[in-house]
Amino acid sequence: MIGLETVATATGLIIGIICGLVPLGAGIYYKKIRVGIGGFIACMLSGFACNFLGGLPMIALTYSVVLSYAYVNRQDPFTSRMALTEVTFEESRWEQFQRRMANLGNGTRTSIRALVRNKAGFVGFLGLVFFFVVLTFGPLFIKYDGQTHTDRRAPGALALVAPPSAEFPLGLDWKGRDVLSHMVYGGQKLIITSIEAGLIATLIAVAIGSVSGLIGGTVDQLLSGIANLILTIPTFPLLIVLAALVKFDSNFMLAVLFGVLNWPPLMRAVRAQVLSLRERDYVQAAVALDLGIWHIITREVFPNMVSYIAVNFIFTVRIAMYSIVGLVFLGLVPLAEPDWGVMIYTGRQQGVLFLPQAAGMLLSPIIAIALFQLSLVLFSRSLEEIFNPRLRSGL
Amino acid sequence: MIAFYAVSNAPQTSSGSEPVQQRSIWVRLWRIRHNYLFRVVMQGLLTIWAVTTLTFFMIRQMPGNPLDTKIEEFVTRRGLTYEEAYRAAASLFSFNPDEPIILQYTEYLGKLIQGDLGLSITKSGVSVTSIISHYLPWTLFCIGLALVISFSLGVVLGLAIGYWRGSWFDNLITGFASIISGVPDYIIALLIILVFGVQLQWFKIGQMRGGVDPTIPPGFNMPYILSILQYALLPIMIYVLSSVGSWILAMKSSTLSALGEDYIVVAQARGLSQRRILAGYVGRNAMLPLITRLAISVGFVVGGSIIIEQMFQYPGLGNNLYVAISERDYTTMQGIFLVITSAVVFSNIFADLAIGWLDPRVQLDEENNP
Repeated sequence: MIGLETVATATGLIIGIICGLVPLGAGIYYKKIRVGIGGFIACMLSGFACNFLGGLPMIALTYSVVLSYAYVNRQDPFTSRMALTEVTFEESRWEQFQRRMANLGNGTRTSIRALVRNKAGFVGFLGLVFFFVVLTFGPLFIKYDGQTHTDRRAPGALALVAPPSAEFPLGLDWKGRDVLSHMVYGGQKLIITSIEAGLIATLIAVAIGSVSGLIGGTVDQLLSGIANLILTIPTFPLLIVLAALVKFDSNFMLAVLFGVLNWPPLMRAVRAQVLSLRERDYVQAAVALDLGIWHIITREVFPNMVSYIAVNFIFTVRIAMYSIVGLVFLGLVPLAEPDWGVMIYTGRQQGVLFLPQAAGMLLSPIIAIALFQLSLVLFSRSLEEIFNPRLRSGL
Repeated sequence: MIAFYAVSNAPQTSSGSEPVQQRSIWVRLWRIRHNYLFRVVMQGLLTIWAVTTLTFFMIRQMPGNPLDTKIEEFVTRRGLTYEEAYRAAASLFSFNPDEPIILQYTEYLGKLIQGDLGLSITKSGVSVTSIISHYLPWTLFCIGLALVISFSLGVVLGLAIGYWRGSWFDNLITGFASIISGVPDYIIALLIILVFGVQLQWFKIGQMRGGVDPTIPPGFNMPYILSILQYALLPIMIYVLSSVGSWILAMKSSTLSALGEDYIVVAQARGLSQRRILAGYVGRNAMLPLITRLAISVGFVVGGSIIIEQMFQYPGLGNNLYVAISERDYTTMQGIFLVITSAVVFSNIFADLAIGWLDPRVQLDEENNP
């Protein structure tokens, strides 16, 4: 997926400001100016970072939050779900939409509260935000510097690597290029590929797992058999074999390969969950009430699995990043600079690993990858609280 | 699983109607073989065959074959013309890339059934079996020892912090475990090399390559063994550091759930010593879920850790697999994949059996909800 890589641009800022007018207007209309301004800023920043991709979803989110403030403070009885179904037939489409949005806004606010409440999770979230900000807004301030600074070579030194200095805060790499600009430009592709890989694995796992659990019988046996088969294959070596098929610079293929090899653990968990949820009283009650398969899946079964799936998604992203950087580290996938993994690979390949002054060049990507993985681990703790319906209702 | 417990419990449940007959151990073994073990082993063999077939065709889809890579090497390194290089390379290998793949496959399977893994393609005259038996002990020693250390360390620490939860010790270890379990092993390795090797110069990294000091003649004597230990120290340390965190966290959560059980309260009420409660009541029960994971890890030990072994040029199976993949040595690759898969399959079977044997509740549960 090419469109996912994003850099902050001026057009994005304009898009963001235009998007921000919606929550701002809503805030003024409902006399919730402060919330409106907050929504405006959120829209502006996300539009700035990701153009339409960030701006449009943010409109919905911020608008709903503004609405939820307005509705709750008016002591509106309709924000609870039970009341919602009672009055559905008496109100216009627009009112129904407003209530839905207010409901969504309430959910968003509880999620944010849950996120902030768990300290470790919040630290992880801040870490992820930090990476996001550096990788999307960094290019605004730092130009990509691919040229070799031969003139910076220390007198008498054989290698071009240089330790951090005032001009180059992270030093120069083995070719005498600026490390900082490589760091800023080299992370996004890696992170997005990992996220894609995790997403593909999770989607396959959830789809196959729920089909397997719901249908059962021969289909279940067949799918579980395939999952068990893949589980016994040593994944990383096979990934090495398959990675040889990847063409230059097609990271999406790499993500697909990873996804195809790494869905079984989550699939088995999802299947087990579906099997056990199918027998629960409230699902049986919903079946008895003839609420429809769609209602049962989205309202009764899915909310109970979301937190588990989300946490697993994060873990899959971690493993994906591990595998992808590992492949690059071994020099087994086509390399495209700038990239954190390639920085480590070339550092090792060129033998600068053993030079004390090359610490800046090697430690930067190493620490970045370690910190990113750490943020993911910490963040996954909050995710559990955000999505767990029981923990949420207790708030 | 379900079938196993249902069947293995059958004699007990039917014993009410007819008098219990004393069966000899052989008859019992025969029954188990017939009912569960036999089926599971058959299933395992089927899995191994499927994975072998899958990898057989998969690795032949890789671009380039051993002949091409060798020709390329000759052309670039020795400056031969393509014709010369082709002849030189073809004389080296007993491998014909133009042979139909189905024929290769049937030939391979036929040999495999006789226990013959074939000859290595790139190392002429060396059998795959000898390659594996040469490299496997190194991996088993290095990664196996590391697994034992990290498992025991994880269980002890996890039990301690689970029991004294909320203390500063708990916070410290939990924080350490979550940080360390989130960092990839090669990142830990690089950090150790960079910080302790390059910056602080505590050890010489250049000399820490390989499995043993090549200047010491092999033999069962002190310097040789010490040298093996010295060379294995860094890989072991890295493996332990990268895996101990997840063991600690798993053991902690398992301990916490075991602490809520009634029998712990009873044991405390009986006034048993803390040590006895900790070791005999909490620890033993909390360890059960970890046994399965341990068995599965044991299976994957055989494959070693490709990246770590490659980094330190450790003569283990993982590094050899990496070399075989980059040289497109089909037969060696297949052999190593086969060994890893078999190890995983059989350790899984063993895990199932061990849990059924260690934890009587597993059988009871199955009996209650068949």
